[in-house]
Amino acid sequence: MGDDCSTSLRPYLQCVRSSLSAALAISNFASQTSERHNVPEIEAASSPELLLNPLVISRNSDERTFIEPSVNSVRVSLKVKQADEIEHILVHKFARFLTQRADAFLILRRKPVEGYDISFLITNFHTEAMLKHKIVDFVIEFMEEVDKEISEMKLFLNARARFVAESFLTPFD
Amino acid sequence: MASQTPAVVMDNGTGYSKLGFAGNDSPSFVFPTAIATKAGAGSAAGSAPGRPPVANKPSFLAGGGGGGGASSHLSTKRGTEDLDYFIGDEALAAANGPGYAINYPIRHGQIENWDHMERFWSNSIFKYLRVEPEDHYFLLTEPPLNPPENRENTAEIMFESFNCAGLYIAVQAVLALAASWTSSKVTDRSLTGTVIDSGDGVTHVIPVAEGYVIGSSIKSIPIAGRDITYFVQSLLRDRGEPDSSLKTAEKVKEEYCYVCPDIVKEFARYDREPDRFLKHTVTAPNGRSVSIDVGYERFLAPEIFFNPEIYSSDFLTPLPNVVDGVIQSSPIDVRRGLYKNIVLSGGSTLYKDFGRRLQRDIRHLVDARIRASEARSGGARSGGLDVAVVTHKRQRHGPWFGGSLLGQTPEFRSYCHTKAEYDEIGPSIVRRFALLGGPGSA
Amino acid sequence: MLLLDYHNVLIHSLLTERFSGSTPVSIDQIVSDFDGVTFHLSTPESKTKILISIQVKCFRELVQYGAQQVLEREYGPYIVDPEPGYDFSVLIDLENLPAEQEAKDDLITRLALMKRNAMAAPFERAFDEFAKLSEEASRYTTESAPQGVKEGGEVMAIHYREEEAIYIKASHDRVTVIFSTVFREETDRIFGKVFLQEFVDARRRVLTLQNAPQVLFRNDPPLELAGVPGLQNVNDGTLSYVTFVLFPRHLTPHRRYENISHIQIFRDYFHYHIKASKAYIHTRMRKRTADFLQVLNRARPENEERERKTASGRTFRVQG
Repeated sequence: MGDDCSTSLRPYLQCVRSSLSAALAISNFASQTSERHNVPEIEAASSPELLLNPLVISRNSDERTFIEPSVNSVRVSLKVKQADEIEHILVHKFARFLTQRADAFLILRRKPVEGYDISFLITNFHTEAMLKHKIVDFVIEFMEEVDKEISEMKLFLNARARFVAESFLTPFD
Repeated sequence: MASQTPAVVMDNGTGYSKLGFAGNDSPSFVFPTAIATKAGAGSAAGSAPGRPPVANKPSFLAGGGGGGGASSHLSTKRGTEDLDYFIGDEALAAANGPGYAINYPIRHGQIENWDHMERFWSNSIFKYLRVEPEDHYFLLTEPPLNPPENRENTAEIMFESFNCAGLYIAVQAVLALAASWTSSKVTDRSLTGTVIDSGDGVTHVIPVAEGYVIGSSIKSIPIAGRDITYFVQSLLRDRGEPDSSLKTAEKVKEEYCYVCPDIVKEFARYDREPDRFLKHTVTAPNGRSVSIDVGYERFLAPEIFFNPEIYSSDFLTPLPNVVDGVIQSSPIDVRRGLYKNIVLSGGSTLYKDFGRRLQRDIRHLVDARIRASEARSGGARSGGLDVAVVTHKRQRHGPWFGGSLLGQTPEFRSYCHTKAEYDEIGPSIVRRFALLGGPGSA
Repeated sequence: MLLLDYHNVLIHSLLTERFSGSTPVSIDQIVSDFDGVTFHLSTPESKTKILISIQVKCFRELVQYGAQQVLEREYGPYIVDPEPGYDFSVLIDLENLPAEQEAKDDLITRLALMKRNAMAAPFERAFDEFAKLSEEASRYTTESAPQGVKEGGEVMAIHYREEEAIYIKASHDRVTVIFSTVFREETDRIFGKVFLQEFVDARRRVLTLQNAPQVLFRNDPPLELAGVPGLQNVNDGTLSYVTFVLFPRHLTPHRRYENISHIQIFRDYFHYHIKASKAYIHTRMRKRTADFLQVLNRARPENEERERKTASGRTFRVQG
């Protein structure tokens, strides 16, 4: 990571934090179309007046956050930095691994929104059961850690490849 | 791709793993499901056993950067601890020395530590079986009532890490039923029956109907191989034999024990025929050998299955009663089939006449019940109920052998989920498998 | 485990046990090895006579390059007619074993290395050819060398797997071994590329590896393979060619045995490590997932009323 990157990280995360905190002003809202149902309106998209304006926060051309608020739910989608095909495959693998365990994560969406790597779906039931600011903390920490994890995995892969190659070539001599 | 390669059959149990190729009559490798990993490398292992050393600062950052040619073998500095481990017997040996700690990734039949299990499989495949998983289909086993998430995790490892060509996961009890098809007593290849699976730690009684386990009726008994060994040991100690180590007790158990029809008569018979008392010679590693007497424990030890009160004070139900209870708690329309096909599996069912005694005792229980209900009904006659306990040659590694049997059938591959299907659908695909060897297959 | 064994562990342990004088039992086992090699261990006549048969996919090609001679040299007196369905068989009579323990151990090791020995033939031939060519070449200067010497020997192709092959070519100053390798999986292909790049760079980067074979890799057939029939030139990145250039110092008679064993195992070693890396990455992801869950669980408010128990089992309320 270069200097400009690390300096842009803080404002980027800060911006996501405040936007997300604002978006999480959601409340219980029964479905207008089917009786005794309560669906996340952002997913159902049944009526335009329940949806708020979506928002994209971009750090650079390949890192951005997409926040789609609605009256009773918010969808947050992340596009993680992928500089090369190694990072691309690692992000893909990791996202798959996480969504496979989405049950435990409660707010993790099983399928990312088109064009993004990982999506969260936060409903009013989540904000009622959990502390709102801690949910935001989680998303922010998640964004930080995912980048870190991907670059560590990439470093591991290179180090391992080097080690494996050297170990194979050494016995020849 | 995987044109005519034999399927790989892996039966990973709590105590032992059985590995081999389908079509063989015995597993190629049987070793403890144990993995010895580097202990105390870094700081991770000490505080949280079983945690991989990834939590802290990645160790490969410490020394992996670029130029260190001379230090190319300082594997600890290069983040290669994950390659430094042993499995099976080698693991036990390594754990005796310094630097390694032993781990058992499977507890109570279920995989608990996936990191260790993944590496255990890696070594099983590449070091012992020596196969390229891309070329082979795999048949794995699972205990009854294994959560589907565990299956998915297994599939994730087998397909994503190892790219295995195809995968089938079968329930051990069902495979044990299939293994009994080799017995001459079994005429129809049905997958209905009661499996008595007795290993080292615990004994399970599992009713299976048409290839599906009746989960609500499964019973476990806390008496198994290890308890018999302890019992033999205590008898040896009581008599003050010169050698009463656990190892000797185990040897005595394996070589001399059998099941008698009636203990009181057997005691009398021993007193009449003194040649029934045997001598067992123990050779210590230092070459010294001692001789110990082997007496009543020959028939007393396995008797704890039938009269648990001689060994245990908190579990008192004899095995035949447990089996009868299990079948009685199963749906009424399968009970006949469950009584007719009681299959033994596991090392602790190998005692001579174990099956015969079990069959007799269960039959007594059943007949008594029939007589009672005949009396109550006032004159109605029952057609009788057939009780049969199947003993066969492949009992010891029953589930593995059943897997080997089914894995070599030509239709096996069509029952597997392939790598392509997994890539298409994802791990949830393994939640369902067509029933191998069930009705409809050859 | 870093390096893979050259020998088959099962054959080794089974024979060690049998040779140590334990009571003979009948054996009938099919054993697989890497690269689609299948062994059959059996006792068809009596329990003391063990028949070991091997089936290799490319045995025809190997015979063409002298496998029969190599195997005869290794297993001379034990060879019998191949069992139907297999390519080569040896029969070991347990009652007729060499007397000394050392000779026994040597026999066990040799038998466990049967796959290695069968595959070694083209390598041995190439190494011999190199010796001949280099001797011839020493008589000429670079310019005046006749065609045959300059170009080196024929390319020997061994199609040891369905889609993959080893090509071996001897020249007067080197032996070139080329593996064609296929990746059917996207992840493997990318991991493989990282690994192969390090193989290529290792020699340049590490001082102690200056004398190691040179490694090259590319996605289209290397020049050495020009004119070899049956080469696919699919350029979708799934097929790559890995070239090892063995220099004279690797070809000396006393290095030869080890190096043939070692280079043979390349593909399996390579694929094993790709898979081991994936396993390690799984480990990391599991750990990281657990960490994330912990962070998320912090968002749940503390359980308001927690019941606590004393050692004797009595409960009491925590005063707020």
